[in-house]
Amino acid sequence: MSASTSSQPEYVTLVSGDGFEFVVPRSTACVSGTIRRMLDPSSRFSEAISGRCALENISGVVLEKVCEYFCYHQKNKNQTHVPDMDIPPELCLELLMAADYLDT
Amino acid sequence: MADRRQTRNQIRGPHSALTDFLASNNISATQIHQNHQRRLREAEHQTTVEELENNIEEDDEYQHVGELPAEMKKRKRKEVVALVKIKQSKEFARRKARRMGEDGDEAIAREMMNERSQPLPGQLENCEACGKRFTVTPYSKTGSKGGLLCAKCSKALADDEKKTRAQKRGTRSGRRQNQSNLLDGLAQQGALSLVEMCTKKVADNINHIEEFGDLPSQLLHRLSQILCKRRVLTPRTLDLFLRPGLNSIDIYDAAKLETHDFEKIFAFMPDLYRVNIRFAGQMKDKVIEYMLGRNRKLKDLQLDAANLVSDTYWRLLFQKLGPRLESIKLSNLDCSLDDETIDVMCRSCTTLRRLKLKQCWKAGNNSLQAISSLMSLEHLSLNWVQDVDNEILLGTVSSVGPRLQTLSLEGFSNPNDRLLEAVHDNCLALTKLRFSHNANCTDRGFVRLFTDWTNPPLENVDFSSMCDMDNTNPEGPADAIGLASQGLVALMNHSGSMIQKLNITSCRHVSRSAFEEIFSDEKMYPHLKELDVSFHTVIDDYIVGRMFRCCPKLQKLVAFGCFNLRDIRVPIGVALIGGPKAQAPIIPVVDF
Repeated sequence: MSASTSSQPEYVTLVSGDGFEFVVPRSTACVSGTIRRMLDPSSRFSEAISGRCALENISGVVLEKVCEYFCYHQKNKNQTHVPDMDIPPELCLELLMAADYLDT
Repeated sequence: MADRRQTRNQIRGPHSALTDFLASNNISATQIHQNHQRRLREAEHQTTVEELENNIEEDDEYQHVGELPAEMKKRKRKEVVALVKIKQSKEFARRKARRMGEDGDEAIAREMMNERSQPLPGQLENCEACGKRFTVTPYSKTGSKGGLLCAKCSKALADDEKKTRAQKRGTRSGRRQNQSNLLDGLAQQGALSLVEMCTKKVADNINHIEEFGDLPSQLLHRLSQILCKRRVLTPRTLDLFLRPGLNSIDIYDAAKLETHDFEKIFAFMPDLYRVNIRFAGQMKDKVIEYMLGRNRKLKDLQLDAANLVSDTYWRLLFQKLGPRLESIKLSNLDCSLDDETIDVMCRSCTTLRRLKLKQCWKAGNNSLQAISSLMSLEHLSLNWVQDVDNEILLGTVSSVGPRLQTLSLEGFSNPNDRLLEAVHDNCLALTKLRFSHNANCTDRGFVRLFTDWTNPPLENVDFSSMCDMDNTNPEGPADAIGLASQGLVALMNHSGSMIQKLNITSCRHVSRSAFEEIFSDEKMYPHLKELDVSFHTVIDDYIVGRMFRCCPKLQKLVAFGCFNLRDIRVPIGVALIGGPKAQAPIIPVVDF
């Protein structure tokens, strides 16, 4: 497993429904269970081979927030009492749907 | 006092006593202000001091372009005099001492001279940001490049600062919140999941939300939990949860709902098969009637405090829905649901697999007898208010026992060791056993229960408050009553391999040596996650340390009233509730 991950590129690209692309470190993207399974090399999904995940049902604004969460999650990995991330109220329902879909 | 002279153009009023006093002690407000301003500037420029010094010469050249050689000579001479004066001043000596010889005398003196040339309050200056000419006041702010800002730009800067500060406060999670989380047993590391964070945010903004769209039902459930906990589930917010496609609804606090709101639930959601409504104070007979008229799929019914529903309608409900119902949980019913109704329930609901009756005041011996006829029962939880006949309880346990996976008996104070024997002989498939608040069973009874019991290891055990309640004899009788040392050892020997939750609150006759034996080096409880040992005064730091070592998956340790705990070191990821200090120091697991 570790051998196969080390051969994979360090960054992956997440593409929103409206065409925005976000290049994020693989480890942060794998905070999301859905993306982790997409990128799992043993799955032989096209996403795993190309390192590019198209998330058709998520808009760019929401995906940006999701990527922000990935980094926030990574940053606070081994800490207790982590302050909540700032989520704009108008985005929270959409973000909730996206988070549920992404298993984050 | 050169400074004083410069303020000559100001209008002077009468002096206050303070001003006079300060003046007599050679303290000048202007100078204090000036020093303050200088310190501010110094802080900003500390890193660029070197640069500034290098620029001084160039600045001079630039400023004085076109002056006559004579004038220049005069200016230079003045400058030299000024520098000499500065070098003799106290301020200079102070500053030199502070810098510890980083810069030369000359550089420091020049710096001071330059500072003095900064405009003072009352003078005019050009704003650093917008370039406008303005009058300097004590409130003028210093801009990013060290110059002063006009009133408008100062205000903008102050606003910006305030905004960033407010934002910081908004995202910080307070100590109080941390303690609250800890009491809820949340000691998890790292960030919350995004789903949880968004759900909380949605709950925060519930009044601005018009509809949930097609949120999946488990998220609706979580939202309902949060809203009910905050007691904001109102008729308006209820509407958000009503969706025809869903087949379950959970409302943990229906206290604010009116009769027609309950009807609305069943009108909008005809396919419901799971209904869970607590604090249903306004649920009346006509709601039950309406539900029976529309809903044909109900399998799982949980109602709490529905005291306006009469016995007639309870019976009607059981008769109509009976054959389909798989789970009934009723609680806090004090004026209906009598023995006869429960008898009707037991005769109609022949496929009932789960039954929970808590604090139903009217249910008594006959109800208990009726329950023994439920042949497919797998989970039975009873919390009786009335006293029961031991023989009837034994009969019920014997007849439903063999199929039971859950047996929970709370508040039955009469039963004695014979009940434990009945459990030992009849229950063969239990995973959860609760038997609490009883002072008749003895330690020997528990030993017998857990010795050679064919039941597989239990996962969830609650024997709270099983102890002798004689205040005059706090140590208890010699032949221990309640769950005591031997019983606990037998329990852990039987169930230790699978146990996940253990509650032995107030079983106070368990000795320290028993705990030492249970949590000794070679013992391991690989699945134990929650442990409640409140009011065991024999427990001390050593025993708790042993617990952390023997239970690698422990998440929550409740230890109220364990007065021998002093200085516990809690591993990361474990919530210690009720310890001696609100926040015990947390140490990484590797230290063990």
